[in-house]
Amino acid sequence: MSKRYDIVIIGSGVIGSSIAYHLSESQQEEVLVIDKGFPLSGTSGSTQAWVWVHSKAPASYGELSMFSAELYPILEKKIGDVEYKRTGGISPFFSESEREKALMLAEKQATVGIPIEVLSQEEVLSREPALSPNIVGATYSPIDGNVNPFRLVELFIRAAKKNNVEFSFYTSVTSILKKNGLFEIETEKGGKYTAKKIIFAGGPWMKELASLIDIKVPVKQVRGQILITEPLTNLIKHTIAGMRQADNGEVLIGYSLEEVGYDRRTTLDIIQNTAQMAIDYIPSLANANIVRAFSGIRVIPEDELPIIGEIPNVENAYISVMHSGITLSPIIGTLMAELLLHGDTSIDLQQYSLSRFDK
Amino acid sequence: MVKIKTDILIIGSGPAGLNAAYTAASHGANVIIVDEAITIGGQLKQQTQILNNLPGEFNSQRGFSLVDDFYERLKSLPITFLLRHTMIGIYKNNSIGVTNGKETFPITYKKLIIATGAAEEATIFPGWTLPGVMTIGAAQILLNREHVLPGNEAIILGFNEFSLEVGKQLESCGVNIKAIVAKGNYDVELFHEAKNVGIRVVSNATIISATGVNEVEKVVLNIDGIEEEHMVDLVCIGNRLSPILEAFEILSCQLAYQEDLGGLFPKYYNSLETTNTSVYVAGNAAGITNIGGILITGEIAAWNALYSLELLEYSQFKNRSRALWEQLYRIEESQVFKARIAAIKETYKDESLALPPFVELLLEEC
Repeated sequence: MSKRYDIVIIGSGVIGSSIAYHLSESQQEEVLVIDKGFPLSGTSGSTQAWVWVHSKAPASYGELSMFSAELYPILEKKIGDVEYKRTGGISPFFSESEREKALMLAEKQATVGIPIEVLSQEEVLSREPALSPNIVGATYSPIDGNVNPFRLVELFIRAAKKNNVEFSFYTSVTSILKKNGLFEIETEKGGKYTAKKIIFAGGPWMKELASLIDIKVPVKQVRGQILITEPLTNLIKHTIAGMRQADNGEVLIGYSLEEVGYDRRTTLDIIQNTAQMAIDYIPSLANANIVRAFSGIRVIPEDELPIIGEIPNVENAYISVMHSGITLSPIIGTLMAELLLHGDTSIDLQQYSLSRFDK
Repeated sequence: MVKIKTDILIIGSGPAGLNAAYTAASHGANVIIVDEAITIGGQLKQQTQILNNLPGEFNSQRGFSLVDDFYERLKSLPITFLLRHTMIGIYKNNSIGVTNGKETFPITYKKLIIATGAAEEATIFPGWTLPGVMTIGAAQILLNREHVLPGNEAIILGFNEFSLEVGKQLESCGVNIKAIVAKGNYDVELFHEAKNVGIRVVSNATIISATGVNEVEKVVLNIDGIEEEHMVDLVCIGNRLSPILEAFEILSCQLAYQEDLGGLFPKYYNSLETTNTSVYVAGNAAGITNIGGILITGEIAAWNALYSLELLEYSQFKNRSRALWEQLYRIEESQVFKARIAAIKETYKDESLALPPFVELLLEEC
């Protein structure tokens, strides 16, 4: 006998867990979340966890990110302290020719209300004295910040469980069949479930997952390697493109993007390049010891924009896959809950539909 | 940046690494050994007891003199020693990165033998982080290598050959061993050995707590339900060893678990090659064994690396390789050897490869 649910979510990363929590707020539906591993053992647990808005293009995508950042303080009141800090974000540049691009970005983002200042060298260094004097300027926005991804995902799951969402970990979905309007789902460990609606939130595994229902999702797996320094006294206050300082003083540094499949090794060539870039930004980091390096496999859609909403031609099947899941998780959870519970969303998701790739 | 290339790169200059280096270099391979310590020998350097179960080509001798023996054998061979260098990561294409703390540079290898040895496991009890609480191996290093008395009044937690041996070494230097605390029942032969040298062994016992201001001053034992207090300034924890795995993890070698090999270890074939092609394992890193097993696995790994570099004739390789496995069978404790062969069988099974007839033969033998 298979267990029946109204909604089954595949993937319990930051996106799947946020959707589960937001769906559970109404306590109308019976929800199950299935994950092939354990929460935070994949992409959501191997990130710098910026809540980053200001350089997201096009402006409409920046706006979506801004809405999400604005939801964080409200989310914290509901699920608890996720160590969200609106530090402000600085994105430095090293040549005068980049100032024009920065001004254009500020102008475009202003159309949707994202506040961006283009700072002179003096202004950058007075905001963040540790930055290199080789920097000629920066874009700055007060809306950017960061969060503790471990607390975030854990508290999403805890709050969802309190609202009777069920979770099944360490078991991957092996088959999905649609019969008489219901999805029949089987897992590696012999679990059998039926669901009226199904949500794919598989992150970097989206291609494989979607192939179970013969759907193509154009996403790439991209490795990012991140270095962690020993705890340092207050060095940087802001979230700076490429780095941030955690509460315990460790500085997290990462710039790399590599397409190497699902290979989570770290390599010294990237580690050394990353360290050099960090020193280019903040010269005093040259004296810091790196205590750890890790890599995360990010999912990036071919056109780099989120894929959210109904799956075309498969009724009652939905998808949520994107880069920047940490930034977007509050708004995506909210919108997906609206879509599944009311059939409509307060922000138009048309431009994020999977169908855009058919053209 | 310095660019270094070698046929065979060895991580670790303990007995396994040194024997692998000797074997490899005396058959025409270029060898580099990397070790983070300032001298070669690994944990042999503080072994003052006589090592009896050595393979035939070695005389029975004390650990530190075996290091000298190796030094003599190795000095005329084409081996580069990179001491005070630590492997910290990998580059692409068969290169690892080592650092001396100032510079980090790649070494490109054709074959890599990892002989990182084993670490002592700790026991956690209230007060276990107080100065004066240390592993039995640490006490031995202080005593024999640094010539520092680690304390005057001692309790040893864990009763085994090694903890008794170090207990005797401590006593001979004037440390009063108040008791060796054995978790369950003890080996009767070992108990008599302790009794003969006047060391008290208590069974079915544990440490409830260690207390003291800035350092350990008092230990409370639970001996079969009865509490006993001892004023001590040294607590030695003598647990089992487990393989050191960081290098294998960095290289994405798959791991397996065998209780009799010390827990987690890198999976390997009878060539001692891991699941990462061209990466071999030797010594305690391949499963906790005795000194004989450590030396022989070092040689087995080297022979296989040499053969795959085409530096050996097949018949020469085959004969020596078989002889070494038979020697290992004789020298190693039978449960360790059994676990090792079982582990090799598992590796072949996991990779859906047929078990070589020779391994099947060894399986039958044990």
